Amino acid sequence: MADSSEGKSLREQFWDPVAGFGVTFRTMFKKVVTEQYPFEKLPTAPRFHGRHQLNRWPDGLEKCIGCELCAWACPADAIYVEGASNVDVPDGSERFSPGERYGRVYQINYLRCILCGLCIEACPTRALTMTNEYELADNNREDLIYEKSDLLAPLLPGMEAPPHPMRLGEDEGDYYRGTLRRQDDNGATGAARSGGIA
Amino acid sequence: MTDVLTPVLTDNWGTDRSWTLAAYEDRGGYAGLRKALAMAPPDVVEIVKGSNLRGRGGAGFPTGMKWGFIPQDNPNPKYLVVNADESEPGTCKDIPLMMASPHTLVEGVIISSYAIRANTAFIYVRGEVLHVIRRLQRAVQEAYLAGHLGKDIHGSGYDLDLIVHAGAGAYICGEETALLDSLEGRRGQPRLRPPFPAVAGLYASPTVINNVESIASVPSIMDRGAEWFSAMGTEKSKGFGIFSLSGHVANPGQFEAPLGITLRKLIELAGGMRDGHELKFWTPGGSSTPLLTAEHLDVPLDFEGVGAAGSMLGTRALQIFDETTCVVRAVLRWTEFYKHESCGKCTPCREGTWWLAQTLARLEQGHGSEADLDLLLDQCDNILGRSFCALGDGATSPISSSIAYFRDEYLAHFTHGGCPFDRQASTIFAKVEAHA
Amino acid sequence: MTTTPERTPEKSKETAPEKSDEVTLTIDGVEVSVPRNTLVIRAAERIGVQIPRFCDHPLLAPVGACRQCLVEVPDAGNGRPIPKPQASCTLTVAEGMVVNTQATSPVADKAQQGIMEFLLINHPLDCPVCDKGGECPLQNQAMSNGRGETRFTESKRVYPKPINISAQVLLDRERCVLCARCTRFSEQIAGDPFIALIERGALQQVGIYEKEPFESYFSGNTIQICPVGALTSSSYRFRSRPFDLVSTSSVAELDACGSAIRVDHRRGKVMRRLAGDDPEVNEEWITDKDRFAFSYATLEDRLTYPMVRDEETGELRAASWPEAFLVAARGLAAAREAGGVGVLTGGRLTAEDSYAYSKFARVVLGTNDIDFRARSHSAEEAEFLAANVVLGGPGSDPVTYADLESARSVVMVGLEPEDEAGTIFLRLRKTARGRHLPIYSIAPFTSRGLHKMSGTLIPTRPGDEAAALDALVNDGTVALDSGGLLLVGERTASVPGALAAVARLAATTGARIAWIPRRAGDRGALESGALPNLLPGGRPVADASARVDLATAWGVEHLPDTPGRDGAAIVAAAAAGELGGLVVAGVDPADLPDPVLARQAIEAADFIVSLEVRASEVTRAADVVFPVAPVTDRSGTFVNWEGRVRQFGKALHKPNSLPDLRVLSGIAEELGITLGFRTPEQVWAEMTQVGPWDGARAVFDHDVSDPGITLAEPGSSHADGSLVLASWKQLIDDGRMQDGADDMRLTARKPVVLVAADTLAELGATVGDTVILAGPLGSLELPIGVADLAAGTVWAPASAPGASVRHLVGPAGCAVTITGGAR
Repeated sequence: MADSSEGKSLREQFWDPVAGFGVTFRTMFKKVVTEQYPFEKLPTAPRFHGRHQLNRWPDGLEKCIGCELCAWACPADAIYVEGASNVDVPDGSERFSPGERYGRVYQINYLRCILCGLCIEACPTRALTMTNEYELADNNREDLIYEKSDLLAPLLPGMEAPPHPMRLGEDEGDYYRGTLRRQDDNGATGAARSGGIA
Repeated sequence: MTDVLTPVLTDNWGTDRSWTLAAYEDRGGYAGLRKALAMAPPDVVEIVKGSNLRGRGGAGFPTGMKWGFIPQDNPNPKYLVVNADESEPGTCKDIPLMMASPHTLVEGVIISSYAIRANTAFIYVRGEVLHVIRRLQRAVQEAYLAGHLGKDIHGSGYDLDLIVHAGAGAYICGEETALLDSLEGRRGQPRLRPPFPAVAGLYASPTVINNVESIASVPSIMDRGAEWFSAMGTEKSKGFGIFSLSGHVANPGQFEAPLGITLRKLIELAGGMRDGHELKFWTPGGSSTPLLTAEHLDVPLDFEGVGAAGSMLGTRALQIFDETTCVVRAVLRWTEFYKHESCGKCTPCREGTWWLAQTLARLEQGHGSEADLDLLLDQCDNILGRSFCALGDGATSPISSSIAYFRDEYLAHFTHGGCPFDRQASTIFAKVEAHA
Repeated sequence: MTTTPERTPEKSKETAPEKSDEVTLTIDGVEVSVPRNTLVIRAAERIGVQIPRFCDHPLLAPVGACRQCLVEVPDAGNGRPIPKPQASCTLTVAEGMVVNTQATSPVADKAQQGIMEFLLINHPLDCPVCDKGGECPLQNQAMSNGRGETRFTESKRVYPKPINISAQVLLDRERCVLCARCTRFSEQIAGDPFIALIERGALQQVGIYEKEPFESYFSGNTIQICPVGALTSSSYRFRSRPFDLVSTSSVAELDACGSAIRVDHRRGKVMRRLAGDDPEVNEEWITDKDRFAFSYATLEDRLTYPMVRDEETGELRAASWPEAFLVAARGLAAAREAGGVGVLTGGRLTAEDSYAYSKFARVVLGTNDIDFRARSHSAEEAEFLAANVVLGGPGSDPVTYADLESARSVVMVGLEPEDEAGTIFLRLRKTARGRHLPIYSIAPFTSRGLHKMSGTLIPTRPGDEAAALDALVNDGTVALDSGGLLLVGERTASVPGALAAVARLAATTGARIAWIPRRAGDRGALESGALPNLLPGGRPVADASARVDLATAWGVEHLPDTPGRDGAAIVAAAAAGELGGLVVAGVDPADLPDPVLARQAIEAADFIVSLEVRASEVTRAADVVFPVAPVTDRSGTFVNWEGRVRQFGKALHKPNSLPDLRVLSGIAEELGITLGFRTPEQVWAEMTQVGPWDGARAVFDHDVSDPGITLAEPGSSHADGSLVLASWKQLIDDGRMQDGADDMRLTARKPVVLVAADTLAELGATVGDTVILAGPLGSLELPIGVADLAAGTVWAPASAPGASVRHLVGPAGCAVTITGGAR
């Protein structure tokens, strides 16, 4: 040991060890950049690709038509969809979306999903979009397969949980073309034609 | 005035009760039949060939040659079918003929059937003209009673049954193969050719299908000779024909004249244009033939002359329009007719007429631009020559010809934001209103 | 693919086109030689140019309606161009013709794009919800031969969608491109023109007569050939998309035709079945039963685990495979000693399974008491099959589908092909339409199927078939000779002497015999020896050298040397307590000749091992129940009526779903006997190794005076005024393998009892009245109809859904009475 220290200069012996803390001391007086996640959540970039959402029409009907184009587009094979037929019965108990078809089963496997967004580009009805939510972690694999109930957008005021008849138009064409009737002020049961355009 | 006319078919229309057998025979009717029955069938075909009679239904195919195509060694029965399904807008020659002188047609049918050795003949009449059907049926009944039809006609040993069949109201059944399907009890839609009707037509047997006027011309040819007939007309379009003038002329009607007469002459015969107006455009042969304009007044109205002018002689249905008429509106009306009458078999006609009518209706209301005219012409180009039968082609003729001659008028609709014409002005009651 | 259209007068297909029959033309600058009368669209396929098309179909007559296949013809073969673009699906080739398709001609390309644009203006853009989306010719060809963007801004034609044109077929008129493939198929191929084009112009649409929906046995084919999603099946509606599906080539297991099918499945579940393309067998068509009846294997009552009868409670309980093997082995060993075990195998088995049962019976159970015929049968039939059918019959020239098309005449007996063998019906109808093949049917009346084949009825009362056959020997009209075919249905077995008459007629006239069973496994079972008098490979039991040959191949000391009991005798012996046990596989007691006795036998038998896909009457009474794999879960082979080997692969991989042969080998192993196979492939290898018998065939010398089953006195009129019942199973009926195909069942023919006009008058009834048909088993109310039946004869469907005459009234040939009507 003594032999080795003999060969060193003063600068090497005294200044260099202190200089090594220079960055530390300097940083102590700067603004902290550490994010206090999960105690403090910061907003993401506005177009961040987060968890998916299945959107609704203003009357609460689902926009998803079960066409499986998202599943087709998915490079990770993370989406599973089964379609089924909407039927117009008087009490509306078999209608979930405008038109002929709806997605009876809708699953996204977030163990596989790479959040690339190709699925939302493929969606022909804008039923599938992505939210900014990024907390996709869990302690078991099963819970990371999101079902349709997990993915559906929340019911906003004026929306009515399907199944129910088409409230805003005569047929799906009204929904797709945007020629919707205005919702009644009473909300869900706005079957009366107000003639306006929503 | 009358020296240019050659009344043969129309000669007896003015006589008292001209539609009866007695009136017809009084004027020498059924003389041609007796002459024909004295000859061998091939000789009758030769005479018709020699007369250079060309089909009067529009296409102008030599009638005698058509008869010659019938394979006489075919074991199946032969049929003669007369196409009397006259439904083209503007065409009104066969129906007046059958109305005024049904026996001319009946006599022609007997001679023609004899020539092709058919023992059954059909006249397929447009279903809507009930009064004509009744007259024809009565004429056929009279002919049976007089021994012109039935077994062993006039001791010649020749049998013929003639059936008058009423159509169910479809323009497409004027197309000969659709007519055959309809006659067989199916939906009237054109058949695939070959086989041609001459080989496998009605009930898959050799069949001749001729227009009313062609068949009605046969008795006079038999009676007066092929030379007499071919002395009339022009070099390649022999004989006479009925020219039907309608629209904005003083005296519309049927004028029988040798082929090759000009419209100028015919308008003269019809008493000139409507008072105070001048010719704007006209159709030479019904709505399926491209329009012509005032510059074509001196075109000789024969197959070649009209063809050289860029149109077709067709059925010599001359619809005359004066300057008060909006050409876009007229064309839209015709297009709606074709859309309604398309049989639906082939795509270009079925979908094309559906689209053309919608596009034209939009343009007529002034919604559009010059690019839409190119779209319209491209649609026409995609229909013309692509459809299964000639109906689709016919639907495009008025559109493409009207854009060619009256492009500015189309454009005026866009700048004007709608039709710039006074719709009343073109109507028959326009004058009355003007005075009121 | 048949490249020659049906309508053109064609030369016999067998004659290979000679050089003079070839025409050379130039397509897109490439010279190609094709047979005369070939259509340009198919000549172009030869050089790899796909011209887009909708209405064109190689098996339908050309129509030229859609105009999508337009090409430019600069030289029609005569040096002159055809001025307009021509539809290549209607244009036949000519020597020296020059054709330019969209690949080289801007004119053709523009024409095709124009047509595609027209087709799309009235087509809804609902591809995302359309069942055809992803496998749609319109979608594909719009991409390859259409404009990128629409120029159509106006309004489309709209209809309410979809509408049912039958319970099974849905029609979406908005999507229809009016190519008329469906209507032409129905008219030209199936002969059921229940759909037709109606209205005109753009409003033209496919329509039905409202009182007669599209209830054709072949309606499903229209769904498959529809080039858009206009016709869809109600059972497949929105079930999956094409890209989800995994396809496996397979063979239809519901009749003996051996039709090629395609099984489409997703996540271990069959979603749909489509017709396969096999020009030698089913061309591109299958029956609705082949197409829609597949959900029987996924119903609630599907067996998924072995069960044994609990000794204490007497109830069936779940068991492990080894336990079930052990219990079955012990029980069968005991039963073998206590009088023997009979083996009843049904018609659903593959050839491999039948072989395994055949070997199991001989080697493990030491008996020839095995019979695959779960239906009316007789000793006469067993001998007939051994002598005239097995291994393709005594000649080396078995009848094939191609022979149906080249025959000089066809005589059918005990066979209603439209109901019992749909593919044969379509072939016969095609030939009858094309070259007027004379078809005769020895049957009680002119059925709709016979009428559609333009066939001639040889009116025969049930039971008189033998006499009718004998009368044909000298019949100058039918004029059977070596170009004639005798199509013998399995029902012929129920008429004593009829099969002997068939053999006699064939021997006298030189006509060839084709035996046509109803069930898919029957011919394979015959070939693999699941009969009391036959060993595998057509070896007669009675022939010692054949037994030795087989024993050597199997490596056993000896084989049982006396012919065994047939099905009816096994049932009778079991009911009488003579047998110690039964092995029953895929047999419904109701199908056996005497259902009542069969149920008694099942009750009486001491020990029953049942191998079944689904719970049944037998499994409920059995002591050991083994679940076996349906055809989707296994590979295997069916032998169709021609004797053609139809192998199919496993569609679904389900490790717990074992074929019959694996179960049998498991039981045998518990008894210390190695059958030598555990997989279908091993069985097939062994079958190939054992090979067909090349020694002397059995000779047919059956004593006709020994009828196998009792019948109504043939030809006699009953003193009590009763009638003879003629009956057979229709294509769509209450069969267990059609369970679950509810929509298809709704398209079944409405049950009706048919009588002669005289009988109707005697009853004082009018057509449509409800009458009571009573027979030995009971009575049934049915509407009455009239047909050209002989007096004293009545016809009713054996097994219509909800009105099973076979089980509620009586079997064919029994005496019945009709009451009711206006009286």
